Amino acid sequence: MRMKKRAVAVALLTAATVALTGCATSGSTGTDAAACAPSKGKVDLTFTTWIPGMEDTVAVWNKANPDIQVKVQTGPNGNGGTYQNFFNQLKAGNAPDLGQIEYDALPNFRVQDGLTDLAACDGVLDAKSDFVDWTWGQVNFGEDKSVYAIPQDAGPMAMFYRADLFKANNIAIPTTWAEYTTAAEKIRATGGYITNFSQSDINQFAGFVWQAGGKWFKNDGDKWTVDLTDPTTTKVAAYWQDLIDRDLVSTNPPWTDEWNNAYNSGSDWTWNSAAWGANSIASGAPDTAGKWAVAQSPQWKAGDKASGNWGGSSTAVFKGSKHPYEAAKFALWLNTSAESLTMLNKSANLYPAAKSGLDLPALKEGVPFYGDQAIYDEFAIASAQVSPDFVWGPTMTQTYNDVSDGFKAAVSGKGTLDEALKVGQANTIAAMTAQSIPVNK
Amino acid sequence: MSAPAASLTDAPGRAARPSKSRDRKPRAPKVRVQHTGAILAFVLPFGILFGLFYLVPIGYAIYESLLVIKREGTFGAATEVFGGFSQYILVFQNGPFWQSIGRVLMFGVVQVPIMLGLALLFALLLDSPLLRGKRFFRLAFFVPYAVPGVIAAIMWGYLYSPNLSPFSAVTENVNFLSADLVLWSIANVVTWVYVGYNMLIIYSALLAIPTELYEAARLDGAGQMRIAWSVKIPLIMPAIVLTAIFSIIGTLQLLAEPQVFRSFSSAVTSTFTPNLTVYTTSSIPNVNLAAAFSVVLAVATFILSFTFLKFTQRKEAK
Repeated sequence: MRMKKRAVAVALLTAATVALTGCATSGSTGTDAAACAPSKGKVDLTFTTWIPGMEDTVAVWNKANPDIQVKVQTGPNGNGGTYQNFFNQLKAGNAPDLGQIEYDALPNFRVQDGLTDLAACDGVLDAKSDFVDWTWGQVNFGEDKSVYAIPQDAGPMAMFYRADLFKANNIAIPTTWAEYTTAAEKIRATGGYITNFSQSDINQFAGFVWQAGGKWFKNDGDKWTVDLTDPTTTKVAAYWQDLIDRDLVSTNPPWTDEWNNAYNSGSDWTWNSAAWGANSIASGAPDTAGKWAVAQSPQWKAGDKASGNWGGSSTAVFKGSKHPYEAAKFALWLNTSAESLTMLNKSANLYPAAKSGLDLPALKEGVPFYGDQAIYDEFAIASAQVSPDFVWGPTMTQTYNDVSDGFKAAVSGKGTLDEALKVGQANTIAAMTAQSIPVNK
Repeated sequence: MSAPAASLTDAPGRAARPSKSRDRKPRAPKVRVQHTGAILAFVLPFGILFGLFYLVPIGYAIYESLLVIKREGTFGAATEVFGGFSQYILVFQNGPFWQSIGRVLMFGVVQVPIMLGLALLFALLLDSPLLRGKRFFRLAFFVPYAVPGVIAAIMWGYLYSPNLSPFSAVTENVNFLSADLVLWSIANVVTWVYVGYNMLIIYSALLAIPTELYEAARLDGAGQMRIAWSVKIPLIMPAIVLTAIFSIIGTLQLLAEPQVFRSFSSAVTSTFTPNLTVYTTSSIPNVNLAAAFSVVLAVATFILSFTFLKFTQRKEAK
């Protein structure tokens, strides 16, 4: 018995030591600005990403830079598991040097002290003018003297639609949300659905709110404000609730075979999505090649010119990387060089966040899947119309989970989108309070 | 009669408490043995691994669950400070977590008896002289267990899907992924996977029964049904108890199947089962609260399996 007690004591002590060391690393403060100096000799960097074809792009860099070799590790998309791995790796002190992080997750990583401020690294602050304004706002959190990641791509939203079906049924392409409802009624009469309301892509819903001028989070430096239930959000929620209630939209869980099938079989006619969505339709609905087209998002008021944004990501350097100088150099090349951006657009339909990227020849060409329409011209217009003021909260994974739980109930007829957002609001404040993140209640 | 029964009764006692209190009973008489070095040499490999991959993580989880995060400012760096039982207070105030415990308990009350009933039935059939092609059936029943749980869930998810299922005539009319049915659809997947596994445990217990007992029963005029009911089942009761305890533990720790179903069912939320709640909480990431959830779940699992064991042992003693 005594032996057992001692064993337990030893085990607990060991555990405590492990825990305390873990604590010490996570408690240490940020990299000193002067610390971003070149390393001596050959440097090996690790880079975790889920972008298809990234290996090929990185191979081009590796060939040209024998002294800075980057090794690509792939994982599932961010909220699909890679972010959780990042958080675990950060806590364990063995995060990769570089990681793919979407804009909506950046505040979460910063609040967990996971990002290296790259402002001191060569050329990073000067790169500001190379990027579309709002994307830079996402990586510097509105602070002039910091840069927490290099923007990679943006997700300006537009409307993908089945040009052939609209034409054959003599239905006008909607330019306002009111017209979108009218079109939805007509399409339903033919047996189809105008679109699928996604129960788990809360970032798509955020894009709708973004377009309508809503803001979910504010950070005044002292405290966060959470506002998932402001009048704009409520208006957007009521709009979709109406379509759901009247069975004018399908509610297949997104990214499933059922969902692909709904588009591939012509049951769903439009998708309000981002530039990268071009890839999703082409791979999910291959039988509909050539029948799609892209138009600007429907507006809340006729004549308005506003677009939302869905997704888009950045290349961040994690806290603990020994080579921030080299990592930043690679990240800048990856996200500004014409060669890299062209390759990433080809392999993953990434729409560059770099201004120079918008003029790439590859982005001027017609795309066969979309009836040879030069679809990126539409996204260029949309990109310029994205409001730069949308701020993401520091616990977005949790906010998405909670709102999605409610949206799932709503599409099953057991609640409303509005109720889901109210629960999301309360739970987000609770989650922030639980981590002592100052928040207005 | 008593020999095999006794050796079988030992089995669940040892295996059902896989680790936590393993050294409680058998240790006492061994303390006086002189060969300390030899004992150490034999125990050390196990002890080291057990400590590293069991005790240390548990200790670490308990430690983490006693901490809270403090920070200054909207992006202030986090420091972990001792917070006593404040995470546990949050656990006990968390409605969805307790709902999820209720959900898996309901799941267990229905699914475990069905699964073990089927396993017992299949084992008895395999053991009876009436069945031909035993080897084939033994393998056929066991094969689903060789399919990884995630793959099984994806496969069944496809079979359940309303429009794409090969049985869409059924699934278009009955939504197996709806809020009313999804728990039982998952129960079906779990049953499909684990019946063969439990059957094998019960079947090997049946094989250990000496054949003289059957001869004696036959001489007394018992038929196959009577032998199964009055000889076989009482003798393999310990094995059934063992599988029941494994199943109770497995039920409370359901994760893979609901996690897979989450992506294609509107009814599976991020807090559908206790382990899914732990997973979701740790992805916030709020490791301290997730650790507290895990500790509470572990204690609940332990209490439940221990109560079940005590309950069945007392019954046996009678």
